[in-house]
Amino acid sequence: MNSRPARGLVTLALVSAALAQASAQDPRIMPRLDAPSRAAITALVDSARAQGLPVEPLMEKVYEGMGKGADGPRIVAAVRSLTLEMASAHRALGTVASADEIKAAASAMHAGVPAVELGKMKKQSGLRRSLTLPFTVLADLVSRGVPVEAGVNAIKSLVGAGAKDADLNKFQRNVSGDIDQGAPPAAAAETRAKAVPATKPEDDG
Amino acid sequence: MGEWGRTTLELIVEELRQPVRLDESFERRVMVRVRRLYAQRRRHGVGGWLGGFTRVTYHPGWAAALAASVVAMVTLGVMRSRPAGVATVSPREPVQFVLVRPDARSVAVVGDFNDWGLNDTALVATNHQGVWSVTAPVPAGVHRYAFVVNGKEWVTDPNAPRSAGDDFGLPSSALVVEDSTK
Repeated sequence: MNSRPARGLVTLALVSAALAQASAQDPRIMPRLDAPSRAAITALVDSARAQGLPVEPLMEKVYEGMGKGADGPRIVAAVRSLTLEMASAHRALGTVASADEIKAAASAMHAGVPAVELGKMKKQSGLRRSLTLPFTVLADLVSRGVPVEAGVNAIKSLVGAGAKDADLNKFQRNVSGDIDQGAPPAAAAETRAKAVPATKPEDDG
Repeated sequence: MGEWGRTTLELIVEELRQPVRLDESFERRVMVRVRRLYAQRRRHGVGGWLGGFTRVTYHPGWAAALAASVVAMVTLGVMRSRPAGVATVSPREPVQFVLVRPDARSVAVVGDFNDWGLNDTALVATNHQGVWSVTAPVPAGVHRYAFVVNGKEWVTDPNAPRSAGDDFGLPSSALVVEDSTK
């Protein structure tokens, strides 16, 4: 009997400890955030994970805050707000929603769209149609002054008519252009929604 | 031309359909090489610790334990520190960012796809008569980003949707990158 098993165990422990230490210390966060903020963010991320929410957007929010020079408490507040919005979005959209849809829905909610409206859109659109871009465009419309009801109706009609993502991108650019030129936001959205050619929803992959 | 193509294709298919026949001595020659390599490794082992360790790793139990430990630690660490970006592997698609600013001295692009420029990861745009642009691979999904002009002025992309949620008092644009493999 020699000491090979013992050496193996020691090596195993050293490798494991080094890996754990290296991955637990994110150099982008550790030196820049105060300890209470780090602890609060860790708790929020753990809570989000326990709820089955995507945690990637929360970490992105942390980096955004640091990149924009915000202090710890403000970053924590933003992460907390996003956690709540994503939880509401997750409940409204159901388990079929992708992480990107939840993230986009949270953005629309932040702009003022009720979660229940987003849930209705998800139910009406079916499982195959991703609503990531429709929710993103809706958030943009509302943030540009389009009333929530007009924005929701416009997006619903476009998705219901089978508009593809390229159509939605064009629609968004046209509406924002009209608003920049002085058009009333609701009128711009309602008018431009009529111009998108209707296709069969099942054709949209 | 078409006839020639079909004939060539048929020849190739016929050749590929032939069963592979190995020389009878093939297996014996392979095993001789393997044994020779193993003997060389034992003779030229790094010695002491590593030599012993090398032998330990060949034991199926040790190898499995080490692999499981590494996987568990990496997974736990990733989940604790940065679940994003590492846990999710999305295909990257080239995206061109363009901003027209003839008066700018520098333009950079920061967003959640490059950790908002932390640790010098900002994408530096090049100037072409006031049209600043940079193309970079961005993971499929929904993203937030902004232009930083002259190192201090945060500007949204005028050709992209606005992103709601300017929690930090500076605007952002939204970007949805489609997965072209789907």
